[in-house]
Amino acid sequence: MTTEVSPPLPLPNELTAPFWEGASKGQLVIQHCNSCGHFQHAPEPICSACLSFDLGSAPVSGKGTVYTFCIPTQAFHPWFEDKLPFVLAVVELDDQPGLKMITNIVNVNPDDVKVGDRVEVTFQPLGEGFMLPVFHPAAQ
Amino acid sequence: MAKKNRVAIVGVGYSDVSRGTGYTLDKLTAQSSVAAMDDAGIKPTDIDGVVVHSFPHQFVSSTHTAAMLGIPDLAFYSGNVDGAAYSVAAMHAIAAIASGSAETVLTLRTVHKDGAAGGGRPSGNQGIPGNQQFSMPYGSFTGSHWAGLYMQRHMAMYGSTEEDFGAFAIAQRKFAVANPTESFFHEELTMDDYLNSRYIAKPLHLFDCDYPVDSSSALIFTTEERARDMKQKPVFFDSWANGTTKEADFSLVGDMTHSSPWMASKRMWSRTDLKPSDVDTAGLYDGFSFIAMQWLEALGFCGEGESGSFVRSGATSATGSLPTNTDGGACNVGRRHGANFFIEVTRQLRGTAGDRALPKKPEVGVVSNAVGGFAACALLTAE
Ligand SMILES: [Zn+2]
Repeated sequence: MTTEVSPPLPLPNELTAPFWEGASKGQLVIQHCNSCGHFQHAPEPICSACLSFDLGSAPVSGKGTVYTFCIPTQAFHPWFEDKLPFVLAVVELDDQPGLKMITNIVNVNPDDVKVGDRVEVTFQPLGEGFMLPVFHPAAQ
Repeated sequence: MAKKNRVAIVGVGYSDVSRGTGYTLDKLTAQSSVAAMDDAGIKPTDIDGVVVHSFPHQFVSSTHTAAMLGIPDLAFYSGNVDGAAYSVAAMHAIAAIASGSAETVLTLRTVHKDGAAGGGRPSGNQGIPGNQQFSMPYGSFTGSHWAGLYMQRHMAMYGSTEEDFGAFAIAQRKFAVANPTESFFHEELTMDDYLNSRYIAKPLHLFDCDYPVDSSSALIFTTEERARDMKQKPVFFDSWANGTTKEADFSLVGDMTHSSPWMASKRMWSRTDLKPSDVDTAGLYDGFSFIAMQWLEALGFCGEGESGSFVRSGATSATGSLPTNTDGGACNVGRRHGANFFIEVTRQLRGTAGDRALPKKPEVGVVSNAVGGFAACALLTAE
């Protein structure tokens, strides 16, 4: 008999909610400056490019490149015990140079992933209605 | 750059160190403070500044430390939970002394084995606040995760291999074997041992990681004038610098193979007449072995991307051009969170390393702490 293990769930706030709301609708949504058009992730209360406080959010293309990755083989949270090994990655999004996010690469043999791989966003249920934006190899 | 008041290291000390001392953070802090005062030959009343660096959840304040030690009045104190490990305390103390804010400053780093870098991890349904909600749901919880990311990026950019990182672990283990009173490991490491050690986050192996212990480390800094009258031969700070990246999140820094050590190194070299070829020994942070290797490149001891071949050449060994982590590093003497590099280079430069004294007595050493979002380094000289 096993006990139910809960995933590490986000606690959305004013800044982070658009990311999670977008994901629940199948969109990758990133904080976007209404003054200068700069994307930033993770979100902050001020735009680091122009110091505007007038920040919104916008969908991005969902396409990107694997900047780096590693393959965790030890779980530091019970949720991941039965998910090892998996691919923890940093993906650079096409929408702005240097715009990166921490994510997972899924639907792939972990040992086949390479830095520079082209990837596209997809969404996986996390729990309690949250959808997690993750990436899989881009269609050829 | 005009020299301010020269700042000297005049005392170093450790607490008892083990996997489980059973001692409180307070007791460990008091132990290392007393050891450093004994080493310097001074009394608490000679100290007018205390600076601590800590993980937030393991904080022992500078004022509480002073009270435990019976220091009557502090001209300068500072308690830090942000930034590049022990070096943050060192940088504050140097600034305090160089500016005349204090004369003799006790600097401290105390750490308990459990829950060190990562702190508490969420369980159950409490929800992840703040920006960790963009990392933890992906399984990114500890330093070992970003360490794996940094290593993979280096391998992809430069063709470095796991064997390159292993070469570093093997080289510093040799020093550890020669330091049996401080090291927790007493047998040399082979490449097979390294490669067969389990992955934590491939390509990161277990033997790339520092060894968690309870420890407190203390160093005492003072002015050149006072240092001349003290028990130990002083070791001087020639140049020192912090550096940070534009991005605070270690996993999202702009260029993982040129992170904060590059900023700190460039700044440090811009403030001295010394050059990399003048440096005789190094103490480079090895919370993960790749960190020390990024420092070898950032400090200019080898070419960009060439730290693996530099280490494989034997350059960081006792008889090489840059003996590095001559106490065995934190992978072997346990996590002192940056302080051991300052302590060991000081011991080598002032000639108190005992059996471990390098074959060629060093005159100039470099020390460094941290990587990623924040880092610091300093040049130390025997005169
Ligand atoms: Zn803006």
